[in-house]
Order: sequence, then C-alpha cells, then structure tokens
Amino acid sequence: MTTPLKTRLLVVGGGPGGYVAAIRAGQLGIDTILVDEGGLGGTCLQRGCIPSKALIEVATRFAHLRAAAEGTDPAGLRAGTPSMDFAQTRAWKDGIVTRLADGVAGLLRRAKVRHLAGRAVFSDAKTCRVETGEGAFTIAAEAVILATGSEPVELPALPFGGGVVSSTQALSLSALPECLAVVGAGYIGLELGIAFAKLGVSVSVVERQDRILPLYDRALTEPVRRALERHGISLHLSARALGHTDGALAVEGADGTPFQVPADLVLSTVGRRPRLEGFGLEAMAVDVKDGRILVDDQCRTSMSGVFAIGDVIGEPMLAHKAMAQGEMVAEIVAGHRRRFDPLVIPAVCFTDPEIVVVGLSPEEAGAPERALVGTVPFLANGRALTLDAPAGFVRVVARREDHVIVGVQAVGAHVSELSAAFVTAIEMGARLEDVAGMIHAHPTLGEAFHEAALAALSGGSARH
Amino acid sequence: MSYDLIVIGTGPGGYVCAIRASQLGLKVAVVEKRATHGGTCLNVGCIPSKALLHASELFEEAGHSFASMGIQVSAPTLDHAALLGFKDKAVDGNTKGVEFLLKKNKVDVHFGTGRILAAGKVEVTAADGSKSELETKNIVIATGSDVAQLPGVTIDEQKVVSSTGALVLPKVPGKLVVVGAGVIGLELGSVWRRLGAQVTVVEFLDRILPGMDGEVAKSFQRILEKQGVAFKLGTKVTGVDTSGTGAKVTVEPAAGGAAEVIEADVVLVAIGRVAYTQGLGLAEIGVETDKRGRVVIDPHFQTNVPGIFAIGDVVAGPMLAHKAEDEGVACAELLAGKAGHVNYGVIPGVVYTSPEVASVGKTEEELKAEGIAYTVGKFPFLANGRAKANNQTDGFVKILADAATDKVLGAHIIGVEAGEMIHECAVLMEFGGSSEDLARTCHAHPTRSEAVKEAAMAVEKRAIHM
Ligand SMILES: Cc1cc2nc3c(=O)[nH]c(=O)nc-3n(C[C@H](O)[C@H](O)[C@H](O)COP(=O)(O)OP(=O)(O)OC[C@H]3O[C@@H](n4cnc5c(N)ncnc54)[C@H](O)[C@@H]3O)c2cc1C
Ligand SMILES: Cc1cc2nc3c(=O)[nH]c(=O)nc-3n(C[C@H](O)[C@H](O)[C@H](O)COP(=O)(O)OP(=O)(O)OC[C@H]3O[C@@H](n4cnc5c(N)ncnc54)[C@H](O)[C@@H]3O)c2cc1C
Repeated sequence: MTTPLKTRLLVVGGGPGGYVAAIRAGQLGIDTILVDEGGLGGTCLQRGCIPSKALIEVATRFAHLRAAAEGTDPAGLRAGTPSMDFAQTRAWKDGIVTRLADGVAGLLRRAKVRHLAGRAVFSDAKTCRVETGEGAFTIAAEAVILATGSEPVELPALPFGGGVVSSTQALSLSALPECLAVVGAGYIGLELGIAFAKLGVSVSVVERQDRILPLYDRALTEPVRRALERHGISLHLSARALGHTDGALAVEGADGTPFQVPADLVLSTVGRRPRLEGFGLEAMAVDVKDGRILVDDQCRTSMSGVFAIGDVIGEPMLAHKAMAQGEMVAEIVAGHRRRFDPLVIPAVCFTDPEIVVVGLSPEEAGAPERALVGTVPFLANGRALTLDAPAGFVRVVARREDHVIVGVQAVGAHVSELSAAFVTAIEMGARLEDVAGMIHAHPTLGEAFHEAALAALSGGSARH
Repeated sequence: MSYDLIVIGTGPGGYVCAIRASQLGLKVAVVEKRATHGGTCLNVGCIPSKALLHASELFEEAGHSFASMGIQVSAPTLDHAALLGFKDKAVDGNTKGVEFLLKKNKVDVHFGTGRILAAGKVEVTAADGSKSELETKNIVIATGSDVAQLPGVTIDEQKVVSSTGALVLPKVPGKLVVVGAGVIGLELGSVWRRLGAQVTVVEFLDRILPGMDGEVAKSFQRILEKQGVAFKLGTKVTGVDTSGTGAKVTVEPAAGGAAEVIEADVVLVAIGRVAYTQGLGLAEIGVETDKRGRVVIDPHFQTNVPGIFAIGDVVAGPMLAHKAEDEGVACAELLAGKAGHVNYGVIPGVVYTSPEVASVGKTEEELKAEGIAYTVGKFPFLANGRAKANNQTDGFVKILADAATDKVLGAHIIGVEAGEMIHECAVLMEFGGSSEDLARTCHAHPTRSEAVKEAAMAVEKRAIHM
C-alpha cells in the first residue's frame, strides 16, 4: 500500500544543496518534502568535507605530538611517544557527523519540511515513488529540485572492493593501514594522503599527470609538493596505476617501466561524477550533456518546474556552491527574482599547507600584459613567524587597465579563513588601491593581502 | 647632513612612515634609542606575546583535548628555555626584517636618543654619550608608549612585572595576579595560566575589556572562567608588599569596603600604556600635549609647531600597531604632497587568546549612545561544521547593521581565528556594504567564516543553520 502525497516543492537529495534548499523553502512558507537515501547532510557531512576535516585535525595534532616526542618541536613542547586509538578517533568523528546530521534534521523540522528517508524514483518529471522504513509513498509535486550530488569515479583497473577503496570507505576505516597508495593527486587524495601520513601510515601517491593538483597553477602547488617530502610521502608523477594484488599496487612509471608500490590499501581518488542513474531521470525529459544535468543561470533544467543544483550539474563540485544554489532556487520557487551570478566561488584545499583559490590566476587574467600581480611571502609576515608557519604566500591579481582585483590566491599553513576577505573584496569590486588603503589588524596573516595589493601597485614587491 | 624627514622612533608607526616617505622620493633618516628596530610591537609587544600565546596554546591542547580524538600521550611538558628561544627567534626574524627594509629603502639609521632642539633640528645622543646634530625639513614623532604605572606600586620586573617582564619570566609562577583586564593582561594571563600558573585578574571596572562590545566581553569572561582564570572585578589594588618571599597584593572594592590580601608569586601590572615623550624636549620648544601626555595633532598629523608631526601610540586613538602603521603611511603621503588618509571608523582590534576576540566598527553600547537604530544578527560556532570538526566551538559572530539601510556598522567575533575572520567584515565596511551583501557572498565550506555569513543572514532572521 502506498501513501499518496502532494506537495508544492519536492527536493531530492539531502546534501548541502538539497537540505539548504528545503530549509530556505520552509522559511519562506513553501510546503516542502525532502527525500534522501544516504543520510542527511549528503556527501559533505556524511563522507566528505566534515569527516575529512576531522581526520585532518586529528592527524595534525598527532604529528605535532610526534615532533614533541622526538624533541623537534621548535616551541619547546616535549612529550612521550604518542599512540593512536583509531577506533576512538572514528567514534569521535562519527559523533560529530551524527550531531551535525541531527542538527540538520532539527532545522528541517523547524522549517516544517517533511523528510522521507529512502530513494526517490521518478515516473515522470513531477511524480516519484519512495520506499521508506515506514512504507511506500508516491509524491506529486508542483516543483522539483534535483540535488542528487555526485559519486566517486571508478578506474577500470582498480574496481572498488577488497583492498581498493574510495574516499567514502577511507573515512570510515576502523584501523589504520600500514602502507597506503593514493591514486590521483587531486585535493581529496592529497588531503587524505597527508592526513594518513601524519598518522604514521607509509603513503605513496600515484598521479597520471606530471604534477600534483593539476587544477591549480604551479606556483600555488609547489609548497604542497615540497611538503609531501617533509611528510614522508613518496610521489610518482606521470605514472599509471595498473592494478592491486597481494599488498602491492602495480604502476607503470613515466618511462614505461613497471614497478610496485607497497599498499595494503589503495585509495582511488581520480574524480567524482554527477549522480544521474537509478532514480528515473530518463523519465523526466531533462537534458543531460557530458554527464551532467544542463541548467540555466537560475538552475532551471530543460523541463519546466524542475531545477537542478550542486554536484549533479557539474563543476565546481563544492559544498558552498551547492548551498548557494539551494538557497537561490528556494527563493525563485517562492517568486523572488534571483540569478546565480557570484563573481567568484572560493575553493579551499585543506592540504598541509592549505591552498585558497579565488578568481583568476595570473595566467588566466593575462599577466603580465593585461594584469598586475603582487605576491608576498609569509616569511615577511610577523604572525606567520609567531605561528612557526613561514612557508607560502598571498598573491593578488588585478586588471592592469583599472586595477580591479580579479583574483586572490594563497598557500600557507592557516590560510583557509583568509578566503572570505578575498571573496568579499572581489564582490565589492575592490581595486588594488582599496585593499592597499585599508587597515588590517596586526599581527595577522591577513596583512599579507594588504601587502600583496601594495606589491602589485609597485610592480611586484611590497613594504614588508 | 640635511634631510627632508627625520622620524624619531622605529616602532611600526615610525619605520613604516620612513619607508613610505622614502618610496615617495624623500630623503629620510630615523633615530632609534633601542638597539633594534620595530619598537614596542616587535621587541616587547605584539610579536613576542603572540609567539608565547601560540606555543602555550599548543601545550595546553596537548594536555587536555586529545584523548577524545583517539590520541594517547603521556602528560606533555614544556622546555622553558626552548619556549623563550622560540619567542626570541620570532622577534629576531622580525626586527632583522625591519633593518633590511630600512636599508633596502635607503633610509639612514641613527641609533641614539633623539631630542628636538627646534623645528628642523634633531640632536642624537648615542649610547656612548656622544652627540650629533641633524638638520631636516620635517620631523615625525613616533616615540610610542610606555607601561602605565600603578600609583604606590614599584615595578621591579622580578616579582612585580610589566608586560615586558611577563614575556621573559624565568619560570612559571605558581600564582600570578594580573592587574587590569585589558587586552595585554588577558593575553599574558592566558599564557601563564596555560603553562600552569593559577591566575587571578583584578580589574577596577565591573567588566573586562573596557571599550569592547558588552555582550562579547561578558561571554568572553565566562569562557576564560571556564578555562580557570579567576576574576575580581570592581576591585582596586591599593598596594603590593614584596618584602617577604612572594608578593602580597592588597585589594579593596572599587566602591569602597573591606580590604583583602591576595598572595602571589608574580604580579603583572597591565593597567594600560601612556604616551612616551621623555627627553624629546617638547616642553622647551612648545609642542602641545594633552592631559594624558599625548602629543596633540591636527587632522594632518601636524603639531602646533609647524614642521613637527606625530603618529602612533604617542597621539590619541587606539594603541594598536596597525593604527600606528596606517598613520605612518598617511603622514608620509601628506608630507610628499599626496592625499594620505586614515579611516578611523574601520580599525579592527584583536585579542589573541584562545578563542580569539576580534571586532571592527561600533559596539552595541556605542550605537545606543549615538541613538542609531540597529538590528543584530548572531550565530554560534557550535552550529559551524569546521568548528565542530576541530573541537573548537566556543564563541559566536555578531553583526550590527543599520535598521534603516542595512549598512553594517559593527562586527564582533569570539572564536578560534577570529583575528583573521574579522578582515572580511573590515573589507565590507570599507565599502559601506550591507548585511545582505555579506549574506549573499559565497563562503568556502567548511570554514569558520561561514558563521559570519550566517550571522549576516540572521540580521534578517533567515540563518540556515540555526
Ligand atoms: C572526501 C571529500 C572531501 C570533500 N571536501 C570538500 C571541501 O572541503 N569543501 C567543499 O566545498 N567540498 C568538498 N567536497 C565536495 C562536497 O562534498 C560536494 O560538493 C557536496 O557534498 C555536493 O553537495 P550536493 O548537495 O550537490 O550533493 P551530495 O552532498 O552528494 O548529496 C546528495 C545526496 O542525495 C542523495 N540522493 C541521490 N539520489 C537520490 C535519490 N534518487 N533519492 C534520494 N536521495 C538521493 C545522496 O544519497 C546524497 O545524500 C568533498 C567531497 C569529498 C568526497
Ligand atoms: C605586550 C603587548 C602586546 C601588544 N600586542 C599588540 C597586538 O597584538 N596588536 C597590536 O596592534 N598592538 C599590540 N600592542 C601595541 C603595539 O605594540 C603598539 O600599539 C605599537 O607598538 C605602537 O607603535 P608606535 O610606532 O607608535 O610606537 P612603539 O612601538 O612604542 O615605538 C616607539 C619607538 O620609539 C623609540 N623611542 C622613543 N623615544 C625615543 C627617542 N627620544 N629617540 C629615539 N627613539 C625613541 C622607542 O625605543 C621605540 O622603539 C601590544 C603592546 C604590548 C606592550
């Protein structure tokens, strides 16, 4: 027996795109149902951003204690040799995820959104069926938001299962492997690879291209590459993973020579792709191209009344993009006039050191002919010295003709929180003179933003 | 030797002013009586205190918050000599940096105590007593500030210390009494508490962090109390007796009442700082100072004597390194015939405790006093993913916006890395941005700064994660 339900808005997927859309819709008084099968919070909260950052945090502290035990901590911290109770780490991390997911459930309740746990399968663009623990439902909706997210890409040579895992399983291990091989040196692979290395796992990274983090320019990634050595990670570039057998990953090296990398576990992080299958998308008359749902600047698909947001519409696959789109579409459904037109969407890579990318790189902006660039190393920043974190820099990119800032990037131990000021400056249409003329607190890492603007104005170098 | 500009004092105000003036083509010299550049800030202020705060924070974390995360370790210890060495290294790196920058920018350096003989004439007395005279078109006084003394209490830098002595205590005191609940007292009190001292803060007023937003101060006080700092507010220190082994601090209620004695091993006097103009010869040449000894300037930093200017801690305004620097830049630009300007409405302030406290713009009290109608948006770090993942959920973000126009008038943050997060609000306020601008800006996930966005959304009661 199925219960028929009618609703003004149906949201499919409870990740950051879907749950934010549902909460905002509820706030605006729209009758809303959210259907999710993978746990509230989606990839981000259950098996992405949050658990990965929790693991990184534990790993960083553990590495610091190891330095203390070895007597190498520069600030004088000394300790006995630390050890990991990884089951406890996992319980701690699970506790955080559960609390946040319960938080999302509470927020949905407060916004009067009905939540059904199960998979939505569409029979036409506005009708779906959901099997839940409390029985089956059919839902007829006036408007639909598809926020089905993404899933890890599988390499034919390394099917998931056995000793080959995706980031999802890597984040829920109950014991640490001895040797880990990471295939794919994108941000997910490196964030996790560095974290495991800090926890004492012997880690190697195998990457098809001739460099790590191929999406970012070399100047930005170089400090991370150098840090891989410091973390004791062996890096194999221009190398191809061939398969995993008997505790070893077979690899073909740059020159075609095969070799073996010890690996009781292989973490395959070669990318993610929009989740398009298994929910009747075929029945919805929604245009799909290059493996993602096509949308306009209001996130409308080709089918009227059906919207798509977040990872399922492609790059950038970032949680905050999904959230921003979720909020916007809810407002559109409520009749507001909105468009998705942020000047910039920041990207943060939580490696050690961290990378922040906002807007255009020097090359993308046409430097040096069409753009001014100012770079300031943290070595010249007082706060960085007091944090014992002198590696890295802040870089500002501006149009030569009118000095409007079009990009800001940074690499350094604690740069993630700098991203918000970079974005705000660009959204406000700041020129180099504006940032050069404002007061940054001393001593902060943020002062390097100010100095980089000064540097760009004076042809590359700054006061400090 | 004749210069366009002589700057007396190479703290953040002075050295930045000198470099900027030189960049703009002026012939510049600096006079500094310390053996190193960087003034209070680099030698005995911001930089060494932040180095100790960082190191002690890691030490405390290591001792307390790791077991739940699955890290097992015996109680950590701190190598005191290595700790002080770490601090010295940070200071050294910074002061050497300034030395290099002055040289790179072709600024002449004269070590010695400067005295202004007349407009255009500076006498320098070197450490060995030898004197020389320099000629210049203009003079900038950037002599900074010094520790304020507590009447009847002698600072011996052993048992009764100023912030300078508190940066180099040879061992962790068992009991530390901090007089004054301002930024410096709370920061250095936190350092020694983390390292094991039992800390009591005595404050004359009935609140901590005078001048900061009241709600923020109150909730920050609770956080510090939870960390083990004891407060005696509305209490004044009437004397310190150091004749015995330790120190006996006599206190009594500010409003009057029975006196009480608190035992201490070390007493830190941190009741503020006063403008420093000793030996400059200001009275002789008629440069006006105010009741608190600060040099009086016009909006273009000029004193009542033409050709003599002043910037930084030695003049009115918040005693902050970045305020001094910005005045240094503006003053140099004006001297070079450009349009220098300081926006006093957007000067961020940071307390580098853990969590940090940071603010920019108006407090609720100021808005009330000025009769401005405002709306408040608040968001706690308890509901922020990054804060949760890092086990650091104390604090909140508070945005104050104009009730009629939605323009952001003030931002106040208690939280880990608040000192970095505040810049987003400062950038926005420089542009006269609204809370909606902040709310609609894409913030990276998972960062603590998302709480700023949510607080901005809360101004219109539409936070998502609350
Ligand atoms: C290890 C890792 C680390 C990451 N770190 C970051 C980071 O630091 N910062 C960042 O911005 N991004 C990060 N990401 C990416 C981020 O997680 C995604 O961009 C984000 O989760 C996308 O949100 P979404 O709402 O589009 O989809 P998802 O979060 O993928 O949510 C989709 C949800 O829909 C459910 N669903 C799908 N189909 C159906 C159906 N038919 N019926 C019911 N439910 C369905 C799924 O089960 C899932 O719960 C990371 C990802 C990974 C894997
Ligand atoms: C413990 C502590 C922590 C602090 N933390 C911070 C912080 O985190 N952030 C912040 O913004 N501010 C902080 N401050 C305040 C900051 O240090 C001052 O605001 C800043 O140093 C003021 O700069 P200034 O250039 O005006 O003066 P100063 O830095 O005081 O420099 C004045 C210089 O002039 C020299 N001088 C004086 N008289 C003469 C003379 N007659 N001849 C030659 N030279 C002379 C002095 O030797 C000194 O080097 C802190 C202060 C202390 C004490």
